[in-house]
Amino acid sequence: MELSDSRTIDAPREMVWQALLDKDVLKNAVPGCQEMSGSPEEGFEAVVVQKVGPVKATFKGAVTLEDMNEPESLTISGSGKGGAAGFAKGGAKVRLEDDNGQTVLHYDVEAKVGGKLAQLGSRIIDGFAKKMADQFFTNFQEALEGPAEQEPDAEVADGAETGEKKKGWFRRMVSS
Amino acid sequence: MPKDGGIGSPTLRREDIRFLTGNGKYTDDINIHGQAYAYFVRSDVAHGTINSIDASAAEGMPGVAKVFTAKDFEGVGGVPCGWQVTDRFGEAMQEPKHPVLAEGKVRHVGDPIAVVVADTLEQARDAAEALDIDITELEPVLNMKDALKDGATKVHDDLTSNLCYDWGFVEENREAVDEAIKGAHHVTTLELTNNRLVANPMEPRVAVGDYDSSNDEHTLYTTSQNPHVIRLLMGAFVLGIPEHKLRVVAPDVGGGFGAKIYHYAEEAFCTFAAKALKRPVKWTSSRSEAFMSDAHGRDHVTKIELAMDKDGKFLALRTDTHANMGAYLSTFAPSIPTWLHGTLMAGNYTTPLIYVNVKAVFTNTVPVDAYRGAGRPEATFQLERVVDKAAREMGIDPVELRRRNFITEFPYATPVAVEYDTGDYHATMDKLLELSDHAGFDARAAESKKNGKLRGFGIAHYIEACGIAPSNLVGQLGARAGLYESATVRVNATGSISVMTGSHSHGQGHETSFAQVVSEMIGIDASQIDIVHGDTAKSPMGMGTYGSRSLAVGGSAMVRATEKIINKAKKIAAHLLEAAEGDIELKDGAFTVAGTDKSVAWGDVTLAAYVPHNYPLEDIEPGLEETAFYDPANFTYPSGAYGCEVEVDPETGKVTVLGFTAADDFGNIVNPMIVEGQVHGGLAQGIGQAMIENCAYDDQGQLLSGSYMDYAMPRADDLPMFTVDHSSVTPCTHNPLGVKGCGEAGAIGSPPALVNAVIDALQRGGHDVTHIDMPLSSDRVWAAMNS
Amino acid sequence: MTNVTMTVNGKSVSGNVEGRTLLSSFLRDDLRLTGTHVGCDTSQCGACVVHVDGLSVKACTMLAAEADGAEVKTIEGMANADGSLSVIQQAFQDHHGLQCGFCTPGMVMTAAALLKENPKPSETEVRDYLEGNICRCTGYHNIVKAIMAASGQDVSAIAAE
Repeated sequence: MELSDSRTIDAPREMVWQALLDKDVLKNAVPGCQEMSGSPEEGFEAVVVQKVGPVKATFKGAVTLEDMNEPESLTISGSGKGGAAGFAKGGAKVRLEDDNGQTVLHYDVEAKVGGKLAQLGSRIIDGFAKKMADQFFTNFQEALEGPAEQEPDAEVADGAETGEKKKGWFRRMVSS
Repeated sequence: MPKDGGIGSPTLRREDIRFLTGNGKYTDDINIHGQAYAYFVRSDVAHGTINSIDASAAEGMPGVAKVFTAKDFEGVGGVPCGWQVTDRFGEAMQEPKHPVLAEGKVRHVGDPIAVVVADTLEQARDAAEALDIDITELEPVLNMKDALKDGATKVHDDLTSNLCYDWGFVEENREAVDEAIKGAHHVTTLELTNNRLVANPMEPRVAVGDYDSSNDEHTLYTTSQNPHVIRLLMGAFVLGIPEHKLRVVAPDVGGGFGAKIYHYAEEAFCTFAAKALKRPVKWTSSRSEAFMSDAHGRDHVTKIELAMDKDGKFLALRTDTHANMGAYLSTFAPSIPTWLHGTLMAGNYTTPLIYVNVKAVFTNTVPVDAYRGAGRPEATFQLERVVDKAAREMGIDPVELRRRNFITEFPYATPVAVEYDTGDYHATMDKLLELSDHAGFDARAAESKKNGKLRGFGIAHYIEACGIAPSNLVGQLGARAGLYESATVRVNATGSISVMTGSHSHGQGHETSFAQVVSEMIGIDASQIDIVHGDTAKSPMGMGTYGSRSLAVGGSAMVRATEKIINKAKKIAAHLLEAAEGDIELKDGAFTVAGTDKSVAWGDVTLAAYVPHNYPLEDIEPGLEETAFYDPANFTYPSGAYGCEVEVDPETGKVTVLGFTAADDFGNIVNPMIVEGQVHGGLAQGIGQAMIENCAYDDQGQLLSGSYMDYAMPRADDLPMFTVDHSSVTPCTHNPLGVKGCGEAGAIGSPPALVNAVIDALQRGGHDVTHIDMPLSSDRVWAAMNS
Repeated sequence: MTNVTMTVNGKSVSGNVEGRTLLSSFLRDDLRLTGTHVGCDTSQCGACVVHVDGLSVKACTMLAAEADGAEVKTIEGMANADGSLSVIQQAFQDHHGLQCGFCTPGMVMTAAALLKENPKPSETEVRDYLEGNICRCTGYHNIVKAIMAASGQDVSAIAAE
């Protein structure tokens, strides 16, 4: 399946670009992400727990950033193996447009599932992929927006792996 | 009126008692002390290269006995194919190896890669999660036509292409058919698909392997329609176990419909692993596994052309079919689109020239093989659809067009190599029109119209070739086995009888109907007769149950063996009665000297056979046990007229089946109750195919319809009550019971009748729709109406 | 492992089960009541229907631990006390409502639940109630007929006799 959407983020394009390359932003944005390690250059390793229809599984896999054209566009791809549940793969082509200091983020998402996930979950995969993408970019947007004047939360600023991050944490981090 | 319990009586089924009380013994009910459980790890990609399998972590998990991969099967043969088709250039088909576990490559979602065997199933499953299998995905081969293009990715690297064979039949007629079509008054052309189906017997497959090292004997308990065939294929071709050291038992089997004919890798695995691990090994398929490992059915893409003269007389027929084989050749796969399909293209009609071309194609999908009807539904569907379309194009009533072309003289040799021994197609058509109140259709259609609905009536007339099959004929056609059947009739000293048949019942009711035949022949109560099946240690070599063959072939073997019994018993009776053998008559379980009141009871004769104190030992041996093998002289040719009445909601495209009538000619009937049940079940599967069932893959070769949430099985509220009739009888001329076979008819005749009915409804509603591919889901019908 | 105790077909039974053990597995593997069949893994086919505290339940959708203390009835407990077939079972035989027998236990248990709720169901009501039970052999014709006959209705007028 494929779907396209866009959203306007109240942050400059350079900052949005930086955020897209940030491991902690990605970890926080990928729904159900438990662990994320690696770097934009080397690629990231991730552990994600997700429920697709009747199948709940822990996916171990890789997230890679490709086709990087700073600060305009890149492709985020992920694939994960869920053991007996099968596998899931997905990617988003992201394009950033400057709009008077704000950034319009366009994305084209595609998702594929295999094995038991396809057998049992194919009917709902379109809705699932849309939900995942919406959630990803909502989380991403929230990391960038929000009350910049608020003091950075120490726990978040040092990149701790746990806890719900507050809105605008990335903006505060990069501007502090 | 048939006598109670004899031939023709609707005797209640004796096997029902155990099934209704939970006492049936299915393979999964078998548990052997110390058994381990096998869990198959299967490919979740359609096509890929296996780079590595690291089982070290899994082998260290609790309870794990061993993790098996292809390297454990290096000395073992592949799963064999039982039929070699020769192509139209005289070359043998391309035949890839089908390893027990994938070697180097995976070729369909569900292809087994490794097997974890552990003390419990849960432990095996847990350990499977710890297997590290590295696979590089390859482009999947899915579309049959693309698969045949130059440069297409190959399913099997060692084959020259994805083409299994290019079969022409009858090749000598090719040019004559082309000429006839070119010069014809009218040619009706139709392109269609016969949708891929999953057989889905309610009992998933199970295999339990056991090994007795004291005498080097293997036993396999398996969900099979033909245990001897499994013993033959697995013993001879896969594991190298001679028959006398291999026993295959198929106990109560919960439905087959074709999917349990074939020898599967899991059977070979459990047999092999039981010896390797020195403990019994059990595998029970989940339904999810069944969807991706049981052979699928149908999956043809066809173009058919029918040439007619100005009066609608059929002059020539040409068909061009692509048949999906899937990733490997299942046991009988190559024969289905060829000898079980091409030979049926004459249908009930006198078409003098026929040419059938079939290209069988490998794809990265589950192997495709026989499913109820097997080739014959595909033939009937295209033929009865094109005849219906031709009737509209010619402006001739569909009933009339069929009648103008019906074969009326028998025996009739078709231009596609078979000879129909008997039939009366006008009789079944008459019966259908009467039972379906065809005359009242217009009034009912008007009523529907008032309610804003479109009503339609569709007809199909079918022929099938069943009672499979004369061994010398199928041998010439490429079968690697004979297709006779066997029976041993063992009469015990007290007169009770055990009949060991090579046929197998998995719902057909052999235990009842076979006993009716012997009861009728000898004249003793059926309760004195047991039918034993499903165990190679008990029955003589037999070929099992498929192709509507049990009664026609297996029943005939039983009749022949029973005749031998009667002949010998008459000799004994003659001795006891001090009369000439020729004067002895057997009636109602007693031997009488003709024209006298001298008689001796059945039980006295049987006792004498085993306590031969007063016995003609100089002439005959003691004992009363006879075996017969019966090889049929021809196929049998059941036929029938099927009619379907539907209503289409023009707002939504929803089709409602209002009524379904089946008027069959099955020859003589042994148990009409069982015959009706067989037809009902066949109709449900045919209506299921036409209305809701569809096995779907996505563009990556992922199986999308892999559960009962996604694959639409017909449920009680999807189907109407059926009207079935079998009062048209032209007995088969070449088997002793005059029976033809009834197991597949319903699934053969119903899909075209239903589609014809929907097209009829749409045409009556003013929609210029000439074809919709099955299944006729609401969205497809609505789209066709609104395109 | 948890110890569970329940009454099955009138007899008190107990056993140790894992948290994930399904009622269907407990009945089949621990109690060896193999009349309850498992035909799918998504709770669709209904071959495993049993009665728990008088209600029909797919035994593959219930954990054995959930049935602790419950009154369970399986196909093995459906015959009359003298071993003869109950009215519903007899109707299935009389009307050829089964072929391979695999879905039959679930069909009988569902039919019993239906007739308890609705003693004289119409054909449509029977078909609707059987929605969760799949049969691949009979086309349902004779199952519907058997259930209506078991309810004391005259089914002689139903087609195909």
